[in-house]
Amino acid sequence: MSDETLAPIELTEAALEALLFVAERPLSRREIASIAGTDRDTVDARLGDLEVSLLERGIRLVTDGDRVELATAAEGGALVARYIGADAVRLSNASLETLAIVAYRQPVTKSAIERIRGVDSDYTIRTLLHRRFVVELGRSEAPGRPFLYGTGFEFLERFGLTSIEELPPLDVEVAARLADEGNEPVTEPMFAEETD
Amino acid sequence: MDHAETMDVGVGVPVMATGLVAGPPVGPVGPAVRFGEGRRPESALQVQVAEFEGPLALLLSLIEARQLDVLTVPLGGLAEAYLDALATLDADRLGNVSAFVSVASQLILIKSRAMLPRRPVLDPTALADEGVDPEAELRARLLLYRAHRDAGQRMAEEALRRIGLFRREPGVAHAAAIAGARPGEGPILDPVRLGRALARLVVIAPPVDLPPEVMARTITITERAAIIRDALRDAPTVVLQDLLAGVRDRVVIAITFLAMLELMKRREIVVEQAEPWGPIVARTTTAQERAAAGVGDLSDDEPLDETLESFA
Repeated sequence: MSDETLAPIELTEAALEALLFVAERPLSRREIASIAGTDRDTVDARLGDLEVSLLERGIRLVTDGDRVELATAAEGGALVARYIGADAVRLSNASLETLAIVAYRQPVTKSAIERIRGVDSDYTIRTLLHRRFVVELGRSEAPGRPFLYGTGFEFLERFGLTSIEELPPLDVEVAARLADEGNEPVTEPMFAEETD
Repeated sequence: MDHAETMDVGVGVPVMATGLVAGPPVGPVGPAVRFGEGRRPESALQVQVAEFEGPLALLLSLIEARQLDVLTVPLGGLAEAYLDALATLDADRLGNVSAFVSVASQLILIKSRAMLPRRPVLDPTALADEGVDPEAELRARLLLYRAHRDAGQRMAEEALRRIGLFRREPGVAHAAAIAGARPGEGPILDPVRLGRALARLVVIAPPVDLPPEVMARTITITERAAIIRDALRDAPTVVLQDLLAGVRDRVVIAITFLAMLELMKRREIVVEQAEPWGPIVARTTTAQERAAAGVGDLSDDEPLDETLESFA
């Protein structure tokens, strides 16, 4: 790759769609800005436009923090899955509840997961890491600098979500009760900044 | 891992167990225990749980099996049922037993506190001295656990309905979908960086001096036939043994012999041996002999058969 500065290319919605279409991996907003020679605000604005435009289409913009990718819409999942011979994700109950804890409370440490589950979760977390549903986001500043876990693109894709915000809220009754009691037994004292 | 589970929890209604059993997360959440069908409640105290995934999961399953409300159920009342379930844990699950015992001790504490007469609460600050209410703490943990467990189940149901989102992966989409394999999400390596790394590697490991190559000597029938022809130009006859005098290389000897046979086949020479092991005498054929055999004048230009196919 050359270090020389390339001439900026206007980042239209169509150009952005084309770029994401040929990319074989999620692209970060910074990368897109660098490729087009434009600023982050323009990238964010075009991504917003594209996301809205795609709502009526069979393709969706999938967002995981800074990174974005194009993927099929959930409505087309069954048809595409039949074409490529894929099946719905199947996980054990232990994996599912661990994944739910990571998804709803990320970034989260292993000890926080284990406090909620009340049981050693080392094996389950390793399984989820292996399947890339869970990824390491960095390390906590807490003593021992434990790993912080979060969900990755694989999780979003396999669970049919275009972003983590699509997860339904947790049991509101529980949340309200916990808030009333001021009882939040799993809050970590400090979290490190998410790293690339 | 799907073992049968039976337990009496005091209601005597058969309920299928799915909640704690590892397997496809399909269907609604069920309790982790199954009641012994046809057993009397007071006698069916044995429980076998396929896979305790945690003390909270077990406790919650006991509550749900009784169709009680987690928010209001007196947790101390479940201590006995919980301990009965705990007693069935296999020794090889000792890794998790401490977590179960911890919750068991909490339940016993809650039960014992409930049995004691309560002091009238005159001063609200007095409660602070007793620390956190163990029942409230355990209930909060149960609620938090249940919220995430149920969220996981909802996620699984949605995943089953939606099947998933698929990204475009040319050429590997099929394999990725089946094997779960996919290219890494890291940035593509800069070729310049790769080139530099290669240059460094070359410096670290300079090319070694290769030993001089040993070339195999090639001996051809043509070459040995030329020697025979040359010898016959200077003398009317040539004795093979004399020609090979001093030669120790068996290959050279064999190829010379083959060359002689090849020349015989072409009617260039006639070879005679008066007795076994005697001298092999070669002479050039006469014009009459060649005419009788139907061959023309001698020609050295025609290539000899080096493949030995004619000897096969």
